[in-house]
Amino acid sequence: MASVSYESQRSRFARQAITPSLLFLVLVAGLPTLFLIITSLTPGALVNPGSLTDFSDPSRNYTLLLSDERFVGSLWVQARLSLYTVTLQVLIGTSMALLVHAGQGRWQSLRHLFVIPMVLPPIVVAVIWKLIYTPDISPIYHAAKAIGIVLPSLTTHVDFALWAIVIADTWEWAPFTFLMVLASLQTLPTEYVEAARMDGADSLGVFWHIVLPYIAPVLLVCTLFRVIDSIKAFPLIFLLTGGGPGSVTEVTNYYAYLVAFNFGELGYSSAITVVLLSLTVLISWAAMRASRSTQSIE
Amino acid sequence: MTQNLTAKPLSRRSLLKKVAGVTASASLGMPAIAQTKPFAGLKLRGAAYQHGFFNHLRKYIPEFEAATGMTVDLQLSAFPVYNQQADLELSSGGSAWDFCNVTFILAARWISAGLLSNLDDFTGDRKLTPASWNPDDFVKGAQVPYTGKDGKTYGYSWEGGAMLMGISRMDLMKKRGLSLPKTFDDLMKVADGIHGQEDVTGFVSSNLHHWFLPPYIHGFGGDIFASPPSDIRPTLDSASAVQAVDYYSRLLSKYSPQGVLGYTEDQARAALIGGRSNIFIHSSSWVTSMLTAQDSKVKETALVTRMPTGPKGDFPASNSQGLGIPKNAKNKEAAWAFIQWALSPELTARIVKDTGHASICRRSIIESAEYKRLNTINGQDIGKLYLDVLQQPAVGRNYMAYRTVKEFPLMGDVVNKAVERVVSGQMPAAESMRVAQEAALSSLRRSGAKV
Amino acid sequence: MKKHIIFWAVPLLLILMLTPFLWLLQMSFKPTPLILEFPPQLFFTPTLEHYVSLWKDGFPESFVNSLITSTASTALALLLGIPAAYALSRWSGPGKFGLGLGILLTRMAPPIAFTIPFFLAYRWVGLLDTRTGLILIYMTFNLPLVIWMMQPFFDAVPDSLEEAALMDGAGFPTVFAEIVMPVASAGIAATAILCFLYAWNDFFFALILTRTDARTAPVAVVNFMNYEGWEWGKIAAGGSLVMAPVLAFSLLVRRYLVSGLTAGAVKG
Repeated sequence: MASVSYESQRSRFARQAITPSLLFLVLVAGLPTLFLIITSLTPGALVNPGSLTDFSDPSRNYTLLLSDERFVGSLWVQARLSLYTVTLQVLIGTSMALLVHAGQGRWQSLRHLFVIPMVLPPIVVAVIWKLIYTPDISPIYHAAKAIGIVLPSLTTHVDFALWAIVIADTWEWAPFTFLMVLASLQTLPTEYVEAARMDGADSLGVFWHIVLPYIAPVLLVCTLFRVIDSIKAFPLIFLLTGGGPGSVTEVTNYYAYLVAFNFGELGYSSAITVVLLSLTVLISWAAMRASRSTQSIE
Repeated sequence: MTQNLTAKPLSRRSLLKKVAGVTASASLGMPAIAQTKPFAGLKLRGAAYQHGFFNHLRKYIPEFEAATGMTVDLQLSAFPVYNQQADLELSSGGSAWDFCNVTFILAARWISAGLLSNLDDFTGDRKLTPASWNPDDFVKGAQVPYTGKDGKTYGYSWEGGAMLMGISRMDLMKKRGLSLPKTFDDLMKVADGIHGQEDVTGFVSSNLHHWFLPPYIHGFGGDIFASPPSDIRPTLDSASAVQAVDYYSRLLSKYSPQGVLGYTEDQARAALIGGRSNIFIHSSSWVTSMLTAQDSKVKETALVTRMPTGPKGDFPASNSQGLGIPKNAKNKEAAWAFIQWALSPELTARIVKDTGHASICRRSIIESAEYKRLNTINGQDIGKLYLDVLQQPAVGRNYMAYRTVKEFPLMGDVVNKAVERVVSGQMPAAESMRVAQEAALSSLRRSGAKV
Repeated sequence: MKKHIIFWAVPLLLILMLTPFLWLLQMSFKPTPLILEFPPQLFFTPTLEHYVSLWKDGFPESFVNSLITSTASTALALLLGIPAAYALSRWSGPGKFGLGLGILLTRMAPPIAFTIPFFLAYRWVGLLDTRTGLILIYMTFNLPLVIWMMQPFFDAVPDSLEEAALMDGAGFPTVFAEIVMPVASAGIAATAILCFLYAWNDFFFALILTRTDARTAPVAVVNFMNYEGWEWGKIAAGGSLVMAPVLAFSLLVRRYLVSGLTAGAVKG
């Protein structure tokens, strides 16, 4: 009897507690998203007064998108960037975690230092890598020259520009996977490993049959979250390549930015953004489902 | 009320100050006492991009503030950052700034969208501007971007960009028996002849292809648009345009430093004045630094001259940067007082004399003996070269008209990408320009142009 | 032998990983002529000239802006988000998944999705180039972050704990403030740190929505892309300054930070 009234008390408090946040989120997130979709139905450009409320041809932007080579190209660039950088991050991060874990706790305190690239402001990461990629002042270029190799300028080379971004991005975010996997490894019961060793398994066998399945859920969640984040890539491209050479590193997010704030075509850019947002929704939904199901496994 | 003016014999400059001050105060309805600061307490806000000129100007601003009573808040930002912010600010009808830099590439867009105030209202009003200020003193070629289709003036130029060729290693040229390149063919031969000698590259450029490429397009007989400013059909895939891109891209890919596609103007200049690159073709202030910069290593071996001529003619690029007043500025008369002062013949002459800053746009100053004296370096009359190129578009056919098309920023971006594709080896010139032409057409149509 | 390799591999790896970041740091103290020199001198007389000239160039203002916007948005997000996280934790009704997804999405959406409508709205109400404007838009990622992160901590507080206090006659607000919150305090610390971090590190929103008044430190660094000079020393100093607060902060609270970062993505 007493618990029933507690329930209703709790519900009432919960409703009161969540309302301000919900209202706020509707205001700062919900309405703008609606506004974005509405703007995508107009040919809105700041220099054309009245164009932001011109609904005479709502599907114009979306139709133009389909035939916009630059837009379609940007989706491919985004796909490649996400694939390369997430794969590298997860591989390197996991390897680092395995290495530190194998050190048996002696380097535990150092793991906090591994976090540094991740907490730096992304624009500072971009500045750091700009310094590394500029032939005039980069020690790598000078060193190569000293031994007679002329390294091509990566950020202006059609084949290497995207990889230049991938390397910088991996440097920045590998610590993320590292932390996750390490945390998971530290909860791995040592008896499993000992039992496998007693059965005659070597290190590779232990890894493949014990460790990997154990950290697989974390890897999955990591991957999905990093894929979502990779769609937001901006400072690196902004500072290192500007989308170039040509459009080789122009991801959709960057193209949308150019269209909106360099060309002033807010309507068209909104359409591009809506497409991007839809992609994000899909992947986020998958991520949440995966994350919830791994929780139920545990 | 205005009798005080003519009573005492005053020096020309202080007369101007008093006239500006007193008439401004008269228009504000304040008593015309010589001691009153007409704009007392007013805070004037302006924005521009980081450039040596504004660093110089800042030193004189306290005088202006003392005479008028206003405080001037001049915000400078990096060039690309300023352009984006200014475009957004003006496009959204903002009133945060009273005066601002009118960047050449955006001038046409802003003027045709009615985002700037008509300055003829100010120059024509004798109460605000004395006749001696003489708007016609500005070199016509430099004023072209700021003249609207209606013939009215929306900005006054503070910086002239006259494209000249800077050669840093005349000693190497002599050693290799190469003479001054006069034609495009010559230029390619000279670049080839010097490249690799003593670690020097034959050529250098920066990532502003929309500025560097058109002279070659014009030189081969083409243009960006069919007949700007009236017929704005893009002509990027014409034979001349393709030839020009092929030519310019070869200079960049074969004879320029590693990573030139990512070079900023300053990196290019550094290469030039450090003697690491032989030829740089850019606005005069960038190449003359070979002769004037403190850290220039090539003072003795440098030469500034006209850029080579193409088979179809000589079309060195000529641009300018200007100061203007946004349409919705809150303190327009104060802003005009500032602009008038900053670009007055008196202050311009002073700046030239005190700082050696030479890329100003007042003909009377450029042709003055003092200017000539200051700008003849190592026997080279830079001033004459500068003036000749600056006024060229106004003398014959206005080949810079492409810059007055309001859709030019879109075209500039397309051109940049096109050159990048060719230099980085993604596509040959013909195909890259075909892609560029298509992109230009769809871009223009999307922005509402009828092409 | 293998154990030795593995043992020393870790600190070596760490140094290798941190080299780019250390390179920036050393460049900020190097006198300009030495910067372009090769081979780079590893030992040189450090100079503060870059930092000093930064200080004179309007950098302090941008720092203050960053500080204010980060702190205020963190405080606001905590104020609104903590009760909401609790409510979500105790919610037994339908729509919990949907609500959670919606909140996650707000955090995951590319910034440009919000920047366009916010830009138009701010231009209309005059919030462009204001700190308030930035604080508001930072809530699009900070508020969801708080809710997302705090929910598992509240999940871990059993109902029985509350009921015990309720039986003693306490009202719900008191129960929440005095019983539930202290148990979740570690989570609050970690969340606050992360909020501050993400707000400080923001580049995109500040780039578009500010001009000069409310310009934040990350944008100010980019402003040194000078028309007449890539001032490498100054750029390095600017970058070092911008990262100094978050770095110091992160290292100071590294325990909470690590647990916060791992909790934020793995749980819930």
